[in-house]
Amino acid sequence: MNPGSLEREGGSGDRRTIGPPGPAQQIWILVLLGAICIGLEIGVHLFLRTAIGYTHIFYVLLVLAAIWYYQKALIVAAALVAATFLTSIIVGDFSWATLLRAAMFLVVTWIVARISEERDRAKEEIILQKKAIEEKHSALVGYLAEVALRMKNPVNLMRDNMAAIRLQLESEKPDLEAVKMELSVQITHADQIIANFRELNQAIVEERDEIPLAYRDFLTR
Amino acid sequence: MSIDLAGIGQNRLFLVLSSAERLKQNNISIIRSLTGQGHRVVVITSNHPSAVLKKLYAAEGIEMGRVSFIDTITKYAMGRVPEGQEDCRYISSPSNLTDLGIAITEVLNTLSGEKACLLFDSISTLLIYIPSTNISKFIHFITSKLRLVDASGIFLAVEKGLDPLLLTQLTTYVDGTIDMDMSPRAEDAKEVGSGA
Repeated sequence: MNPGSLEREGGSGDRRTIGPPGPAQQIWILVLLGAICIGLEIGVHLFLRTAIGYTHIFYVLLVLAAIWYYQKALIVAAALVAATFLTSIIVGDFSWATLLRAAMFLVVTWIVARISEERDRAKEEIILQKKAIEEKHSALVGYLAEVALRMKNPVNLMRDNMAAIRLQLESEKPDLEAVKMELSVQITHADQIIANFRELNQAIVEERDEIPLAYRDFLTR
Repeated sequence: MSIDLAGIGQNRLFLVLSSAERLKQNNISIIRSLTGQGHRVVVITSNHPSAVLKKLYAAEGIEMGRVSFIDTITKYAMGRVPEGQEDCRYISSPSNLTDLGIAITEVLNTLSGEKACLLFDSISTLLIYIPSTNISKFIHFITSKLRLVDASGIFLAVEKGLDPLLLTQLTTYVDGTIDMDMSPRAEDAKEVGSGA
């Protein structure tokens, strides 16, 4: 589920999730709000000759555009400023209040766009960090599995082989030549297990910068 | 102990899991069953020298004329090949999969027309010398080769000695998995899984 999305529970087993609108829906919402704003500008300002109150609706359009499209929303703000200026000139009520209103459109849009941009960038950074941690964790699990596979279990096998060799030596007539061969094989296994351990430690040390130098040296010694 | 390996007669491939302490004994039981069914068995050994296994099989009354060896460990561990081992092929190291693959291909070619079976002893020991990913690829190569020449194969491994991923991969390469420690008697031999 997307963060911030709303989950509603219907009947038994009827669970619907309402997430943020997709890009197409966003465009339609902005177009609709834009049309309402232009309608208000023409209807209220141009025909009713009233310049107060209706412009609050404009902020809904500007805030949503800034959240979804960041600095590009300044184009929408500029368009609304142009429409306001145009109707004010036609109606003849252009004043310092008109300029202040236009400035507020641009400032609010810019502030919301910056905050939104920063928030989404931080969110993306957190996701990337989480992914990197998961990758490291997965590599560590893989390393541990390989250690168990190539060291712990073969050591168990070697222990049983050694026990069998001891039994052979305890018999009445031990075959010393066979015992010698078996022991040579077990020594070779042990040598290889030590080499594997070094090799795997080398791999993990090279991957992990946070391991202090002294420990790196110890692990690869 | 006798093991029910009836499927071997139908050119089937098995992954056989055994506890570490019973691995050698189970190896002998499998060889006895296979030679008893008239199979020519090729033992690929990486855990015990072939010379030792030969003595062991002979002591157990196994017909040695039906058993041949590909020994991957003796030459590597001893640095030389023992005398009087003409029926055995020696590989320089258990990690030398190229030579091992060639030796298996050659042995299988010489046994064409016979009821041949490959006994791999063991995957767990081979893991000391080869990373698990390479083992998986190699076993896939061997099982494909065995299917092509209509031969059977048994891959011995220590139970709990394979990680779940490797076990899953190996299970898909073979026709069935047999847990030897769950089958104390022939009639109880239980096939615990089946693959491709």
